[in-house]
Amino acid sequence: MPEDNAPQQQAPAPSGPGPRPQGGPGGGMRPGGPPKRGKRSFVRKKKVCRFCVDKADFIDYKRAEILAPFIQERGKILPRRMTGTCARHQRWLTVAIKRAQNIALLPFAAEL
Amino acid sequence: MEERQYDLIFICRPDTPEADIDKLIATIEHTATDKGARIEKTEKWGRKRMAYRVHKLREDFYVYMILKSSHGEVVKELERRLKVSDPVIKYLTVRLDEELKRQAKLKHHRERRAARRPRKTTPAAAAPTGEQAQGIA
Repeated sequence: MPEDNAPQQQAPAPSGPGPRPQGGPGGGMRPGGPPKRGKRSFVRKKKVCRFCVDKADFIDYKRAEILAPFIQERGKILPRRMTGTCARHQRWLTVAIKRAQNIALLPFAAEL
Repeated sequence: MEERQYDLIFICRPDTPEADIDKLIATIEHTATDKGARIEKTEKWGRKRMAYRVHKLREDFYVYMILKSSHGEVVKELERRLKVSDPVIKYLTVRLDEELKRQAKLKHHRERRAARRPRKTTPAAAAPTGEQAQGIA
């Protein structure tokens, strides 16, 4: 399975829009270098920022339902590495979540 | 000074009669206009379940307002009033004009980029078929 995946991943790279540096599409590969043959090469699905997909220029703190997926059950704000949100949108998102918490639209912590 | 936009949300006890809430909104609006602010919008969101308990209450009455003012004094006065009025248990004022400005700017950029994109790609990709590219453009 891993042997099958590696060539498939690299195949579309040359036909892409522009010349790319070695290493194929940035999705699955670790920055450590080319994938080792055989063991330890699994393709990780690249997470994309939900707000970038929606082309959000502004995250509204009043809409708790769009902020809710980004907090844990206990009320913690999820880190970027879990949700795949880009840096800019995470910055806006935290501000929005904190505002929503202040006006009791989102919890600070889980209820007892 | 340019005009600032504020969001003002306050939460009233759910057992206050509707008339009292209306009266409260009227006084707030009156104070705001007295201080030189404009009320853009007033919205009663009504009874909503809160995310956590405040004063041992689970459910409350939300009122939402958009204000425009050129100076911040009005917010100070409104918050003081909200603090002393009995039915209000929580309030939040957020200054939003800078974020809205940023939003407008980003939107503008995106539209310009979208308008420019076809021109930029066609000469490089389809140089020999120039008449085709022009036909598309």
